[in-house]
Amino acid sequence: MINLLAGLGAVTAETWITIGIVAGILFGLALVIVVAILVVGKVFKVNMDEKVTKILENLAGANCGGCGCSGCAGFAAKLADGLADLSACHVTSPEKKAEIAEMLGISLKAEEPQVAIVKCNGGAENAKDAFEYNGNPTCAACNTLFNGNKVCKYACLGCGDCAAVCPEGAITVEGKLAKINPDKCINCGACILACPKHVIERIPVKAPVYVACSSHCKAKEVMDGCKVGCIGCGMCARKCPHGAITMVDNLPVVDYDKCTGCKTCVAVCPRHIILER
Amino acid sequence: MATVIAIILSAVLTNNFITKQTLGICPFLGVSKKTSSAVGMGVAVTIVMTLATAVTYPIYEYVMVPLNFAFLEIIVFIFIIASLVQMLEMIIRKVSPALYNAMGVYLPLITTNCAVLGVCELVIGDMSDLIGGAAMNFGWAVLYAFFAGLGFTLIMIIMSGMREKLNNIKVAKYLNGFPISMVTASFICMAFMVFTYIA
Repeated sequence: MINLLAGLGAVTAETWITIGIVAGILFGLALVIVVAILVVGKVFKVNMDEKVTKILENLAGANCGGCGCSGCAGFAAKLADGLADLSACHVTSPEKKAEIAEMLGISLKAEEPQVAIVKCNGGAENAKDAFEYNGNPTCAACNTLFNGNKVCKYACLGCGDCAAVCPEGAITVEGKLAKINPDKCINCGACILACPKHVIERIPVKAPVYVACSSHCKAKEVMDGCKVGCIGCGMCARKCPHGAITMVDNLPVVDYDKCTGCKTCVAVCPRHIILER
Repeated sequence: MATVIAIILSAVLTNNFITKQTLGICPFLGVSKKTSSAVGMGVAVTIVMTLATAVTYPIYEYVMVPLNFAFLEIIVFIFIIASLVQMLEMIIRKVSPALYNAMGVYLPLITTNCAVLGVCELVIGDMSDLIGGAAMNFGWAVLYAFFAGLGFTLIMIIMSGMREKLNNIKVAKYLNGFPISMVTASFICMAFMVFTYIA
C-alpha cells in the first residue's frame, strides 16, 4: 500500500494526518445526520396500520402496478380496507395469497386454470391474401406493412412470432396458421404479448368450445376476405339452450360458467367458426 | 434589480437545467408521461433544490471554507441533501398526508438527483457572469435555486404535454415509445437554444 502511494507522490506523515482528518470529518457528519434523522423520525412518527404492514410483507413486492394500484403499498392499503380483490394480483404466489386471505378473514377464490387459444381459423386456405408478402418473416414486420397481408385485418398472419417466444414449444404454425397445444401450454401469456394482431386469448382449460374468429367486421367484408369468418348472424346466441352466448361487436362471446358443453352452437353455426376443443 | 432579473432569466431560460445543462434527465424522461405527475415531480424538485441550497450554501461558506475542508464539498453535499430529503419526507408525511400523497412518492426519487446537487455546486462556484463584480450572497443563491427549480418544472410540463399529445397520434412503429420521447426532448432543447443570448 505504501509502495503504491509512493509511486504517486511523496507519502509523509502529513498525508496520513490529512486522511485521518477527512475520515474524522465524514464520521462526525454521518453521526450528526444519523442523530438528526433519528430525532425527526421519532418526533414525526406515523402510526402505520399493523395489518397493512403484514399484508405488504406477504405481497410479492414487484410493484408492477398490474392490480391498478400505485405499487404494492397502495394495494395492501386497499386490501386492508376491503376495497380491492386479492385475485387482481398475478405475481404473488398462491401460498402467500392464502396467508393474506386468512389474515383478512376472507375466502380465497380458487383461480381457474386457463390456456391460450388462437381465435382465428383462417390460414393460407381460408383467409385470402391482400398481396404477396416477401419481407422479413415475422408477424411484427408484416403487420407494419398495411396492417398485414391478409384481407381480414383481424386474421392470424401465420409468421410464427408466438411460436418463437413460447418457452414450452407449445405452438406450431401449420399452413400459415398458429396452433397451440393445450397440453403443453403453461398460460404464461408470452404469445398474447407477442401477437401483433391480438388473436390469442385465454380460455378456461375445461372450456368445451371456443370461437375461432376475431373479426368485428360486418358480414359483407368478412365474406369477401375469409371462408371461415364470423358474419355476426347471432344464430349461436339464439339457439344456445343455456343462454351462455351473447353477441358483442358482431362476435359471439361464450360465458363458460353457463356453458354445459352441449355443442348446439357448433352444430348451428353456418360458417363453422365455433369449434370443439 | 438588474442582477435579480439576470438570475431569473438565466435560471429559467438561458441555463435551464434540463435543456442547457442536461441535469435531472432521469425524472425528465421517467416522470413526464402524465402532466399531473410531471407537475408533482417539478414541485418536489423545486422545493428540494431551494431547501438544499439554503442549507448547503451557509455550511459551505461559513463552516467548510474557514475550516479548510472545502475540497470535500461533493461528498458532504450528497450526505446533507440525502438526509435532508429523508427528513423532509418524514415531516410532510406527518404534517400533511394530502401533500404526501400528492408529491411524497417523488421525494425518495430525488434524494441524490444530479439537478439538486448541481444547483448546490453552481451557486458556490463562479457566478460572475450573472452578478457581475458583486459578491455572491445567501439570498441570490436561494433565488437562483428556486428559479432553477421553476425552470425544471416548466420543461417537465412542456414535455409531458407533448407526450400526452403523442399518445393520440400514430407514430411509426420503430419510433414508438421511448425513441420518439428522445426526439421530442431534442426538439425542446433546440427550441430553448433561442434564449442563449438574452441573459
